[in-house]
Amino acid sequence: MESLTNTTQDKKSLFQWIRKYNKQFIGIITTILALLFISPYIYIILTSIKPSSEAISNSPTFFPRELSIENYISMFNQMPILSYFFNSFITAFVSTVLSVFLGALAAYGLARFSSKLGNVFLLITLCIRMVPMISIAIPMYIIINSMGLIDTHAALIITYTSINVPFAIWLMMGFFNNIPKEFDEAARIDGCNIFTSFLKVILPVSLPGLATTSIFCFMLAWNDFLFALLLTSTNAKTATVGISEFLTAYNLDLGPMTAAAVSFSLPVMIFSILVQRYIVSGMTLGSVKG
Amino acid sequence: MTKEAKVSFLFFAPAGIFMLIFLLFPVMLLIKDSFFQVDMISQDSGTFVGISNYIESITSDRFLGATTNTLIYVVVAVSAELLLGLFFAMLLNTGFKGHGFVRTILLSPLMIAPLVSGLIWKFMLNSQFGIVNQLLYDFNITSSRNAIQWLSDDRTALLSTIIADIWLTTPFMMLVLLAGLQGIPVTLYESAKIDGANKIKTFFYITLPSLLPVLVVAILIRTVDAARTFDIVWVLTQGGPANSSEVLSTYMYKTLTRYGEVGESSAMAVLFIILLLLLSSYFLISMFKANKK
Repeated sequence: MESLTNTTQDKKSLFQWIRKYNKQFIGIITTILALLFISPYIYIILTSIKPSSEAISNSPTFFPRELSIENYISMFNQMPILSYFFNSFITAFVSTVLSVFLGALAAYGLARFSSKLGNVFLLITLCIRMVPMISIAIPMYIIINSMGLIDTHAALIITYTSINVPFAIWLMMGFFNNIPKEFDEAARIDGCNIFTSFLKVILPVSLPGLATTSIFCFMLAWNDFLFALLLTSTNAKTATVGISEFLTAYNLDLGPMTAAAVSFSLPVMIFSILVQRYIVSGMTLGSVKG
Repeated sequence: MTKEAKVSFLFFAPAGIFMLIFLLFPVMLLIKDSFFQVDMISQDSGTFVGISNYIESITSDRFLGATTNTLIYVVVAVSAELLLGLFFAMLLNTGFKGHGFVRTILLSPLMIAPLVSGLIWKFMLNSQFGIVNQLLYDFNITSSRNAIQWLSDDRTALLSTIIADIWLTTPFMMLVLLAGLQGIPVTLYESAKIDGANKIKTFFYITLPSLLPVLVVAILIRTVDAARTFDIVWVLTQGGPANSSEVLSTYMYKTLTRYGEVGESSAMAVLFIILLLLLSSYFLISMFKANKK
């Protein structure tokens, strides 16, 4: 009897050992696979710091043989990249502020005072999500054109805001629904009216929600290419359009292009790692709840 | 109107008015334009042509070709992302030491612009300086350094755009599926173990069914996004060579900007919306059914 328990114990510990070993093995394999998966991006970063002749070498290597900031210098020399970045930033920033402001107000109204309208609205938002960007872009181009706003910041701000508002309402409603109504009531007892209780009590409590919504609205605008390509030409040209112009039929500036692509996306990547918590909560909100 | 409804209306009004002008009106205009022959320069309202724009689009070979390419793009990209995403999600879900760090690595492309993904792959797949061809040559898979003209060969152009899409969006798939996996109660696995189910059986009888609602939503979101892809295709191939990688978005863009055909591009855009709504309603219904169970 004793020996029996001993062997089962041995078996158990052996099994546990294999499992433990297994886990480490899986860990190592997954880490290698993850690094392989991310390697295209690492390769672009490494290429951007190669000398430009090496960046377009006929026998490319993963790691640079020599380091240089040549590509970054020629990126600045070849186009007013800073003003393109500025255009991207200002349109993304203003449209984010507008969408979050409009979206938070509307979401609060829907979440607190009329759940029926709120449900209808969720359906509309879902439908809007199905509408391809290009379908909105066609009439938007005609409207912006007839308003005489082609190639202005306003054109992009209006467009980004209109796409982001339904999304902002949808996200913010999720957050407001999680805040107990007692918060509003307590604020009212303390002498707030509906608007001041919204501003002073509800908004501060829903800061994580506002952060998540802002990140998504900002990223949509910052990453947009289609609308910027369609609605701008010189004055309001954004970074995405600028970067894409390193590659034309007559001009294949691959070295400076990698420098511009890294300058454009690396800050975003670092930022998104820092705020990953919010991004994850925003992305899993709709899809996992159902 | 009750006081409550009034307040709700007040809060909703600014966003409502904005969406009325800049979202609902454009969609209305789109539908209207699809029945008209519109001249971009004179900016008059155009002449009514009935459904001839629709007939013209449906019967054109390029539209049908772009639709087929879009379908191929969606099916191949979404299935590959799904398999890769599920694979990574299951590996991470084993909870090995340092899985949080690996998760962060895998999630880092999450917010990269589709345009940048296109640029990265444009660089890597370049037939002259690209590292992909170099690696294929180094591993003796191909016989010369520029054996495959990824972007200028009509057999590989569409595939190249799909690769860029898969790379960009697998992290999203992984994230959603991982959240779904973590939501499966441990007790389910424990009782399966007691019943003597092996790993493969557990996967097919516990993991997959419990994951189904999340899977359906993830597939839906990605299907819609992949169908409206523009940036990646535009930067990699612009739909070429010989329209071999033309998808609906790039074709509509060209119809609007290069040929100035507002009416026809609007008609295609309306068809595209209807197509996506039909597709997603199928998903939404099956999701609803899965929820009921």
